[in-house]
Amino acid sequence: MDSASIAPGWVPVAASEDVIPRHVFQGKLWGQELAIWRADDGYVNVWENRCLHRGVRLSIGVNTGTELVCQYHGWRYANRNAGCTYIPAHPADAPPRTICNRTWPAREAHGLIWTHLGEGEPALPEAAEAPLVLRAVPVRAAPGDVSAALEGFDPGEGLAHRGGLVFGDGASTLRLFVQPMDSGLSAIRGLVSGPLAGEGLALLRRLNTALTAFGRAAEAAARQHPAPAPIPPVYGRVSEELAEMPEMAAGTGKIRVTIAAKTVVAEGIVSLDLRPLRGVLPAFQPGAHIDVALPNGLVRQYSLVNGPGETDRYIIGVKREPQSAGGSLAIHDSLKPGDLLAISEPRNNFTLRRDAEETIFLAGGIGVTPLLAMAAAMAVDDQDFRLHYFAAGQGHLAFPERLAALGERVQPHLGLDPAGTMAALREILSRPGPARQVYVCGPGPMLDAARTIAADQGWPESAVHFEYFRNTHEIDDSSSFDIALARSAVTLRVPAGKSILQVLRENGIAVPSSCGQGACGTCKVKVLEGIPDHQDVYLNNAEKAANDRIMTCVSRAKSDRLILDL
Amino acid sequence: MIRLYDFDLSGNCYKARLLLAILGVEYERRNVDFFPGLKHREPEFLAVNPLGQLPVLEDGDLRLAQSQAILVYVARKYDPSGRWYPLDSPEIAGQVQQWLGFAEGLTATASAARLADGMGFDFDAEAARDGAHKLFAVMDEHLWFQERQGQDWLAPGAAPTVADIACFPYVMLSEEGGISRETYPAIRRWTDRVKRIPGFVVMPGIFPAVLGSQ
Repeated sequence: MDSASIAPGWVPVAASEDVIPRHVFQGKLWGQELAIWRADDGYVNVWENRCLHRGVRLSIGVNTGTELVCQYHGWRYANRNAGCTYIPAHPADAPPRTICNRTWPAREAHGLIWTHLGEGEPALPEAAEAPLVLRAVPVRAAPGDVSAALEGFDPGEGLAHRGGLVFGDGASTLRLFVQPMDSGLSAIRGLVSGPLAGEGLALLRRLNTALTAFGRAAEAAARQHPAPAPIPPVYGRVSEELAEMPEMAAGTGKIRVTIAAKTVVAEGIVSLDLRPLRGVLPAFQPGAHIDVALPNGLVRQYSLVNGPGETDRYIIGVKREPQSAGGSLAIHDSLKPGDLLAISEPRNNFTLRRDAEETIFLAGGIGVTPLLAMAAAMAVDDQDFRLHYFAAGQGHLAFPERLAALGERVQPHLGLDPAGTMAALREILSRPGPARQVYVCGPGPMLDAARTIAADQGWPESAVHFEYFRNTHEIDDSSSFDIALARSAVTLRVPAGKSILQVLRENGIAVPSSCGQGACGTCKVKVLEGIPDHQDVYLNNAEKAANDRIMTCVSRAKSDRLILDL
Repeated sequence: MIRLYDFDLSGNCYKARLLLAILGVEYERRNVDFFPGLKHREPEFLAVNPLGQLPVLEDGDLRLAQSQAILVYVARKYDPSGRWYPLDSPEIAGQVQQWLGFAEGLTATASAARLADGMGFDFDAEAARDGAHKLFAVMDEHLWFQERQGQDWLAPGAAPTVADIACFPYVMLSEEGGISRETYPAIRRWTDRVKRIPGFVVMPGIFPAVLGSQ
């Protein structure tokens, strides 16, 4: 049997009751091993039974309810989109979105889980709505032979053969399906509907006995011939670079989403629940943000609030800021449920380490959004963290339900003036430690204060992670200098008044960018030689001093020339 | 203190370790290098157990060989709730005993295939695999019908018993003997439930079912 003879169409590969919570069902179809698992939200995943890292079976992994974790090196893959969300060996790096496990379509109907390995969207076989599902009987014989022999099967119960693998007595129907597990291995599955199904367990036992006897006879017949060679599994291709730690892929694709709900989640803050128009939303990691193209032409970045496993939607929180250029007003005043939006794929420049013994989250106002996603990810694993949330008052605490789910690990600090905030930060950051990590997101002055206090109290820069909403520094673009592009072997002049990014784009060199103000890190380029004039708020001081990276949208050169790795 | 003559890679020794851990009983380990040292065949160990089999448990004046016997003793002695070796119902007691006997069959088949494949012991691995598949098929069918009746364990009742501990290791280690469990989904779900028993410990080749557990 080769792959060319595989019939298209949906095949049952498990029973609904097989795929119990927090379990990974080991399935097989035409020699292809499947890891089938149900997330806590009920979604059933049908994946290739192989971790992309070292090829270990995911069916021995751990189903956390939201992710599947490989037993060997802890790679995590998200419910629904199968994207890799975390690689423990690279705790400080975001796995590229392109690391995705291979998935097959999954349907749950008639008490069975169905998938198909072919192209397109064939129709599901018909059957009664809530039938009695038989125990699957494994038979070590070729699927074609088993199907042929089953047409002469006598199930008893007064059921007569009605063509194909359907048996009936006028009122009740028994439908059998042969799941082709391998060239020499089948599973017979069956559904009973009608009055006979009411006999329940007793009927299940009788039909199981009849099918087991049938299977023994089929196996005896199969032993008369040499067993066919097992079908070699066809694995999805994984490049070596991908399996190791590739560079972040640039997110260029635009995704269309519809606003399923717009909810006020605190004073002056609304959340948007964004659902894909079609297909599955790309994978994200805690701390990730998306670009949202707004009706007024502005493009704005918003952090995803989603906890692990919330893969059927993106949730963002937007604060009304009348002083700003109009992004938040457009969302607050003109968008409504049902509207369509174009968004980018998620990018993560604010990566959560999960190897810390203790994690401190410092949120200021709407800066809580990425930290909520991080805290939810840690809560699922019972990791030790504390979320300090600075806000004007109780009514300003956003996403109260999500906060409540985190319980006592959330510590609100309400209505503090700048001096009070400084004092609180000094207290919170009083104990630096080797396995402690701090994540800060909030207004610029609070971030500046937190970073200064952390440095004063002995925290290493590498343990203090931050994300600014925007760069509030005045950008000085008066300098002019040369950029030499090492890979392209060209030298370009950056004049006063133009950014490196603009000059690159005018010369046909594509560099992804997002915020355009040195806050998001998307346009980061490696510097091989020369002294950058850092004007961004993305790099920390140590990273700036290393002079090996530059944000090309705002930063410039102190030396006459920069050599860039482009 | 209890002393256990033990070997890390032995499923039969692991049965004893597992129940002692679940019951929170402290014990001292005496490692016997079964493989590659074959120390169980040397006079020093034969003086402890003339049959040359692991594990052996010593508790005070008692010296006990045979893993199922050790499970029965530990449960009767150290489980005040009595649920691990229930004796109240003759029907349940009989069924527990039946599965303890079944565990002997697993040692003779699934364990033998593993010793042949993994440690080079001179057993007929093919015959052992065939035998194991016959036992697994019976066990899978039993567990599937147990699930339909709201029963999670081999013997009837709300809680696991020594029967589950006795049958667990060589089912879990079967792939080391070339015995796939892909056609035994009810067995796979049962092994997940055993792994979630509070106090569960792993052994080489057996992974936890939840993150961060040991």
